[in-house]
Amino acid sequence: MRNRIARGLLPHSSPREFLRQHSDMMDGLVRKAFQSARAKVPSPSVCLMAIGGYGRAELAPYSDIDLLLLYSPSNKNELSPLAEQILYPLWDLGLDVSCSSRSIDECLKMARSDVQVKTGLIDGRYLDGEYEFFRNLYGLLTKKVLHRRVQKFAGALARDIHPRRQKYEDPAYVLEPNIKEGEGGLRDFQVGRWIIRAKYKTDRWDFILFPDHSRMLDKSIQFLWAIRNHLHLLSERRQDDLTFELQEKIAPLLGFPNGTKGVEEMMRQYHLSAREISNFFHDNLDRALFEPSTFRKIIFFFQRKRIDENFEMAHGELHLLDPVAFKKDPSQLMTLFQHGQAYQAKTDFRTEEAVMEALPFIDDRFRASQKVNQAFLSILRREKGADALLMKMHQLGFLSRYIPEFSDVEGKVHYDLYHVHPVDIHSILAVQELGRLRDGYYQKDYPLLTSLIREIEKPDILFLTTLLHDIGKGREGDHALIGAEMAKQVGERMGLTVEEKELMEFLISRHLFMLETAFRRDLHDEQAILRFANETGTPGRLKMLYLLTFADIKAVGPEAWTSWKNSLLMELFLKTSHFFEKGEEPQTFPRRGETLAQLHQSLPQDTLNHYAEHLPDRYLSTYSPEEISLHIKMAQSLGKEVLLVGWSREEEVRARVTICTKDRYGLFSKIAGSMFLNRLNILEAQIHTWGNGIALDTFHVEDPTGEIERRLQQFKKDLKEILSGKISLKLLLSQREESGWIQKKVIPKVPGEAKVNNRDSDFYTIIEITGEDRLGVLYEITQALTDCGCDIHFARISTLGNRVVDVFYVQDEWGEKIVEREKVNHLKQLLLNRLTPL
Amino acid sequence: MKKIEAIVKPFKLDEVKNALTKIGVQGMTVTEVKGFGRQKGHTEVYRGAEYAIDFIPKIKIDLIVSDELVPQVIETIERAARTGKIGDGKIFLSPVEEVIRIRTGERGKDAV
Repeated sequence: MRNRIARGLLPHSSPREFLRQHSDMMDGLVRKAFQSARAKVPSPSVCLMAIGGYGRAELAPYSDIDLLLLYSPSNKNELSPLAEQILYPLWDLGLDVSCSSRSIDECLKMARSDVQVKTGLIDGRYLDGEYEFFRNLYGLLTKKVLHRRVQKFAGALARDIHPRRQKYEDPAYVLEPNIKEGEGGLRDFQVGRWIIRAKYKTDRWDFILFPDHSRMLDKSIQFLWAIRNHLHLLSERRQDDLTFELQEKIAPLLGFPNGTKGVEEMMRQYHLSAREISNFFHDNLDRALFEPSTFRKIIFFFQRKRIDENFEMAHGELHLLDPVAFKKDPSQLMTLFQHGQAYQAKTDFRTEEAVMEALPFIDDRFRASQKVNQAFLSILRREKGADALLMKMHQLGFLSRYIPEFSDVEGKVHYDLYHVHPVDIHSILAVQELGRLRDGYYQKDYPLLTSLIREIEKPDILFLTTLLHDIGKGREGDHALIGAEMAKQVGERMGLTVEEKELMEFLISRHLFMLETAFRRDLHDEQAILRFANETGTPGRLKMLYLLTFADIKAVGPEAWTSWKNSLLMELFLKTSHFFEKGEEPQTFPRRGETLAQLHQSLPQDTLNHYAEHLPDRYLSTYSPEEISLHIKMAQSLGKEVLLVGWSREEEVRARVTICTKDRYGLFSKIAGSMFLNRLNILEAQIHTWGNGIALDTFHVEDPTGEIERRLQQFKKDLKEILSGKISLKLLLSQREESGWIQKKVIPKVPGEAKVNNRDSDFYTIIEITGEDRLGVLYEITQALTDCGCDIHFARISTLGNRVVDVFYVQDEWGEKIVEREKVNHLKQLLLNRLTPL
Repeated sequence: MKKIEAIVKPFKLDEVKNALTKIGVQGMTVTEVKGFGRQKGHTEVYRGAEYAIDFIPKIKIDLIVSDELVPQVIETIERAARTGKIGDGKIFLSPVEEVIRIRTGERGKDAV
């Protein structure tokens, strides 16, 4: 029945007109029911009124119909049969009708104590019966209840709305909003209207706003009504939740394209409308709640304080003296916000209206003005309240006029479950998170981030970057790269330095980089951290990227930032900054890309692709591209051979030896042992382990007897047999020792020293050994390391005169550093013992 | 039917998920978890202040599979999640009494 009425009306009318016509039609039905009831039962003198939404003649298809029977106390008993006779036929039609009956005194008494009764009555409308009763009630209501204690009324409205609102604060309701009760919903509009009614004694809310503003608000209301009408009709009940399913159905009905695009467009308009309404609501509520008492007004009168020729502080709020000052000099708009920050004061209602009126005067000249831009950046730099001001600028429509790029993402939503807020709100919330961090709000939970935001050099650039980080959204292509390009133009216009622009471009183009590295890379792999450090470049950038990542995730929604994500990001930050702090700066490694490009000239593409990702930076920086390509060729033939050994003679007694084999536990000590066995003295060595488990070691060896070629051949043979398990190194060495050694001539003693350093690397224990050189000392040392369970990943061996200086990067069998005090001491002792020959 | 619960390193999630999808596993539940086993947490120092990482972030993957698939699924997870270092995680296997698909009321194998 209702549906039929409604459907008949729908195509021909605006949403407001539809509600009114629907209500008119309902009036006809209700009057008829009232009159026939009066004919059936003895009728006392009563007045029939419509209250609530129906009273306002704004009746959505399945809204409740609230009626009130107003009677004189003398005939109370005769009322119930009458009410029943009115209700039954309406219920039979399937209408949700409720009817209360009260006397005028009861109405007034209840209106004073119950805010819902009061608001229901404000919207009351005469339908039938004794008009005199209606007139009396409204005369008294207006005089005795409505315009008294506006502040208390606003307080009661706020308290009434609060518990309902809490439910809709859940992020799920941002995605699937409730059109009536949600933030910026129809109820908000209504509350604003009641307050205006009480405060300004008029029902024409549009009269107290500037024409542009009221037109925008009206458009927003109409849009929400249109959605609500469709919601009711489609679900055939009082359905106010705009669910995903219904979003898809309604978007085409309202003229949006089919599919996801249409839904996103509709939801964008919804969010813009809701914001408009929400601002209207909060403005009016705040003004009513914080209206100073007469006494305070007098005090404030004496506290009026002139700030400059255009502004003064009045009633504790910022006030614009000359209403056309903004039009004469638009830059005063920015001055207003600066004062707002300096005095930590709100702007009064009229001044805000004046800001909105002056928006069309924000033009290219304004946007390029150095004075304006400097003022804006100084607002971002100041300690207090930058985020709140940005929010206000955005509410007033100022921000998207000043930064037009920002207006493209206004209300822009992602049709998914993760992104709760539209892009513009997300960006401002991100700035707010930074503001909170700076104010110490997160001191206890995130002490590291709190100290970082206080030490960065350019907070204004960080805030601006955070505001702009997603402006590339909604365009074809990678939003980070597009956004970076757009931000660069904004920076250009604002007169940022080259450095600042570059910083902003870097941060925006890589704003997902840290998050991806933290969640998708092995943070216990030095290589991963090194690459991250390399791409980040400087400690300053690292800090800002970390802060931006925090703000970005935190602003996605209340559940997006977890202690889990916090741990991973913090670990990545700390490990990367250790790199920077130690001065082991990634710049000292030559650009990986360059080396790989050179390698490309000597190796086929497939081969290079196969190996490139496994080559550690430390390795790449040690060897020339020619050497590396030789190593790769060796590695390629490893399948057939267990071991590859190549050497080149440098002098009569010296040679450079390259060994390539599969890495295994204790490999280094076996190589050193085999060299010792063949009387090859190791002068220098570099050992590297590739990511794919291939060991690539180079040795600089000497044989004073001039038989180096023969010895190397024998060494190769021995090592091969040892590695394939045919013969034991220990056995060979013991046989050898029996044969005794040639005593060396006496030279100055070098004291032995072993240092175990766990401070300089997050990944390896670094062991530094100095001692007297002798044949076989490297074997003794590496054997000691192997005996203690150390896996050697990287080593640099050098000989200075008769002194050996060896550095080993080791891990235990689990791939962890060696940190237990006992183990460290034991290791040191063992190393010292082996350094001194028995 | 069996429930397989695997704790793996966060960065291994994509690899494990892709490997499981390849062998035909249809669904799984993924949770961000924190804890420690033999791989203990540690303290990091930054500018003299200490920041404790007590519980190590891991990913937990839950899946329900029919008995005959169990060996293959376990092997797949093992292979994909292994780095050979400490903290690679664990796999737990336990029996499941019943599975019910809420929408249709289907039970047993059909509901998996």
